[in-house]
Amino acid sequence: MTPTVPSESLWVQVKTILSNGPPAYTFFTLYALISSLLLISNPRTSLTTDIIFVFFLLLVMLVYRSSVHKYFKHTILLFQLCIVLPYFGTLNPFYLEVATQAGIFVTLALGLNVVVGFAGLLDLGYVAFFAVGAYAWAITSTNQMTLINPDWVPLPPIAFYPFLIFGLILGTITGILLGLPVLRLRGDYLAIVTLGFGEVIRVLANNLDRPINFTNGSQGIREIERPNLFFADFVRNTLGWNLSDQKLYELFFYFAVLLIVFMTILVVKRLKESRIGRAWEAIREDETAAIAQGIPLVRTKLLAFAVGASFAGAMGVIFASKQLFINPPTFDLLRSINILAMVILGGMGSIPGAILGAVLVTLLDLQILPRTANVLRDLQRAGFPIPAAFDPTQYQRMLFGLLLVIMMIFRPQGILPDERRKEELIADEPDDLPEQPDQSDSGTPPPSAATPNGSK
Amino acid sequence: MAAEVNAPASARFGRRSPLEVLRTVFGPVFQLFLFIVGSALALSLIVVLLALMQMGSRPDILTRALTILPQVIIDGLVRGFLFATIALGYTMVYGVLEFINFAHGEIFMVGGIVGAAIGLMLFTSGMLAGVPVLLFVAIVVLAGMVVSGSLAVAVERVAYRPLRGSPRLVPLISAIGVSLVLQDVVRLIVTNTPMGFNARYHTPDFGSPIRLFEIDLGERVVPVIVSPKALVFISVALLMLIGLNYLVNATRLGKAIRATAQDRPTASLMGINVNRIISLTFLIGGALGGAAGALFGLNVGAVNPYMGFIPGLKAFTAAVLGGIGNITGAMVGGVVLGFLEAFVSSYLSLFTNGALSGAAYADIAAFSILILILIFRPSGLLGEATTQKV
Amino acid sequence: MALLEANNITKTFGGLTAVNDVTLTIDEGRIVSVIGPNGAGKTTFFNILTGIYKPDKGTITFGDKPIAGLKSNDIAALGMRRTFQNIRLFNNMTVLENVLVGMHTHLRVPFWHIIFKLPTVQREERKARERAREHLNYVGLDDKREELAKNLPYGDQRRLEIARALAGEPRLILLDEPTAGMNPNETAAATTLIRRLRDDLQLTVVLIEHDMRLVMAISERITVLDYGTKIAEGDAHTIRTNPRVIEAYLGKGAADAA
Repeated sequence: MTPTVPSESLWVQVKTILSNGPPAYTFFTLYALISSLLLISNPRTSLTTDIIFVFFLLLVMLVYRSSVHKYFKHTILLFQLCIVLPYFGTLNPFYLEVATQAGIFVTLALGLNVVVGFAGLLDLGYVAFFAVGAYAWAITSTNQMTLINPDWVPLPPIAFYPFLIFGLILGTITGILLGLPVLRLRGDYLAIVTLGFGEVIRVLANNLDRPINFTNGSQGIREIERPNLFFADFVRNTLGWNLSDQKLYELFFYFAVLLIVFMTILVVKRLKESRIGRAWEAIREDETAAIAQGIPLVRTKLLAFAVGASFAGAMGVIFASKQLFINPPTFDLLRSINILAMVILGGMGSIPGAILGAVLVTLLDLQILPRTANVLRDLQRAGFPIPAAFDPTQYQRMLFGLLLVIMMIFRPQGILPDERRKEELIADEPDDLPEQPDQSDSGTPPPSAATPNGSK
Repeated sequence: MAAEVNAPASARFGRRSPLEVLRTVFGPVFQLFLFIVGSALALSLIVVLLALMQMGSRPDILTRALTILPQVIIDGLVRGFLFATIALGYTMVYGVLEFINFAHGEIFMVGGIVGAAIGLMLFTSGMLAGVPVLLFVAIVVLAGMVVSGSLAVAVERVAYRPLRGSPRLVPLISAIGVSLVLQDVVRLIVTNTPMGFNARYHTPDFGSPIRLFEIDLGERVVPVIVSPKALVFISVALLMLIGLNYLVNATRLGKAIRATAQDRPTASLMGINVNRIISLTFLIGGALGGAAGALFGLNVGAVNPYMGFIPGLKAFTAAVLGGIGNITGAMVGGVVLGFLEAFVSSYLSLFTNGALSGAAYADIAAFSILILILIFRPSGLLGEATTQKV
Repeated sequence: MALLEANNITKTFGGLTAVNDVTLTIDEGRIVSVIGPNGAGKTTFFNILTGIYKPDKGTITFGDKPIAGLKSNDIAALGMRRTFQNIRLFNNMTVLENVLVGMHTHLRVPFWHIIFKLPTVQREERKARERAREHLNYVGLDDKREELAKNLPYGDQRRLEIARALAGEPRLILLDEPTAGMNPNETAAATTLIRRLRDDLQLTVVLIEHDMRLVMAISERITVLDYGTKIAEGDAHTIRTNPRVIEAYLGKGAADAA
């Protein structure tokens, strides 16, 4: 007799059946069809639709985690993200907006994950690079150009496309400029300096309306240019879909973001599995040992910083253009913390983790919190003793702060941990005194090394 | 903590003579005094030089610069002591745990809120006018110390202690989380009380500003004034600094703290209860932060739940500037940074003819200092160069 | 021919002179030991050679190149690799990956090749893996290549450190107490391995060691440090009979062994 707990064995059985073989293929196909149908037949924004939407997105993760054939995975992903979701978006733009927003943050989370997760550098001012990209397009595509110099004119909308590359380069340059001086610093100093840098960028955005008006100060920049839809005629005439400009823009930004997300994932994955990824990991584990292998410390860290910053820079351009309006508070510390929370929630160093984290936090921000606020308001009206000033959408700091603390205490490796990072992040003996002094002892007698410790 | 560097050799063995105790306690204060005078003089000199350089195009600039100078120095002193008292909390915790207690700015803020709450309670009960000024100061400072100190200890228990032994990044992230949580918990509380988000800090009448002296410009007379509140702030801060120096450098407890900072495992082998010492460090740091908050709010006249963040960041800068882990260094760093900020915010717009607003760029100046110090002298003004061990 | 020449190296920490005016010449293809009582400055001297510390005074030439003041990673890239007294592996990486990290300076596909996943990347990676396995084979760890470094037994960790150092294809390898904490069997195996490094691979080996039997058996030249100063230099016989060495180091009862 094997002493198995029935419920557990059932769960394991279900999991095995659904991750392999014909039942899995049938299950996922049915899941995809049913969730799509449900979604399309419920185009109104409501709690039901929210739930279906989450259910719909959940498939992506389930398929990814299962062991069905690669091509099947891709087909499901393609069907859901490139056909059903955009079509549903033409029925209800709100959910497309949620998806686009989620995509933007997936890219940012992946970028920050390179810095924090791969290279182990805590960057608390990551949003600064996003801001640089966004402000670059906002300034050059609007009347700010003329305000800076009367002879200059705003860039034409078509410049948006090459400007994406420029945003990428600008992000990289900013990353290098900040990184060069500060990457020599120890980890915790780096956190503070990047935080300071984020503040500096925000203060600059707030104050560079004088003596020359670059950023329009706290007013922010309005009427940011959107790219021209060179494909509009094709869609309307050749494909015969009569969509308004507004809808076309929504779809355009969705697909642009999706494309960038896809490219980001590829790049990040390739880097992670390369000699560079190994060097990042080595530095994260033991800087001194890494240098002794000939790994140039500052240059390798700088690379992580620049890669992370480049994604943020490019996404900034899209963001500014999509939002049409940006102002300094868009890029405050809370935004950086937000992105950090995504990385930590999903799992530092884990690519699927960063994606999941970004989607979850975005859903939380755009759907769950406002819904909860509504529910609370209703309860309040019904006479429940809920403080009037308590609106969950206004208490993001508390929420994300709690999230960070709780994750660090109970699951520092995140929801979808990177296998390697998991070993590293879990403290060996958390409350053991006298404990192993961190990294800095040369005099330890060898016997202590006989039971090597994972963390330093 | 490198404070033990200041202690005479005999301090490590046996009892000391009262004279030696005086030396260990007032030595740092004297050092602080030197830095105050030194940085005030150096910055004034720079101002004069800058003014002389612009004399050609703007003949009145030297007079204008000089008339505000005494006021700027007083302002710098107030800011400096503010940063110094907050920086002590960072530096003590760092000295013992090598950990940046990110939430310390919020501990400071809570002190301010507590002070304002007391002021409001006395005000609504109508007793405020009857309370003697010094008694009021004592009450808010003590209350701020108790609440903030216990809060700091509680935070360490809940959010940091379980993470000891984890990679450095982990407690740091937890501390950031705590900082955000505290901001919003306090906001939730104050917005549901009569205090409101921007709470006014009611105080008894401190009397009118004291005129120190007057500068006679011929056509008008510019008075140099100092508010009684600022005077109270500076004196209480100074008293606390002396008290802390006594505690750390001349008592058994202080010795235990220094031992724990030096080498935690060994300290624990010597029978020191390391966990208690760590709690105590948070208590002292938190209490100082709380007192600073109560006094700062009193001085400014209003408090809000987000007010701790930027001063916290700057106080950390001050701690690094002075040499993190070094108590005297934190005070020196605070004062130097305070002067620097006061000078930048007062003179930047004067020298750029109003093109740049000094208040906004003072922040940037502070962070630039942080970056420069970390790059060129990471050990700080008073810190010893630490060598990496392999 | 001298591969490494360190002239008049001095290093002080605060008031303490850890290494005082030490001169050391190491000929190519030799096995050289640096010995001395605890705290004699041996590891500090290694740290100076490998660029972790900058010497206050003195010059170092490595194969005609002045290296004093160069960064640690540049020195490693020139072909000087080391192991650490208190083993410093990348604990949460696999055995194979540890060796691959050691090969970092020899992997040169440009960044953008990686981004675009050009065939060059895979080719280089495949070759690197083959080479890494050769190194692992050499120290006898190939069958453990997929294990995490931290899960290896102590002796294997020491060997992995050597394999990682070998992965850099060095000309000179510095071993900091390679047999510390080993039992006699392990020590014997380590001795054979060290000798093979020189005999098969023509490496120059410098070691810090406390096991006098090992030192006397395999070193062709021995340098003795005491309180940061070089007090003797020569072959095993010279050192054994040097009165200053006996006084400073072997004097305390170990003299009979000598």
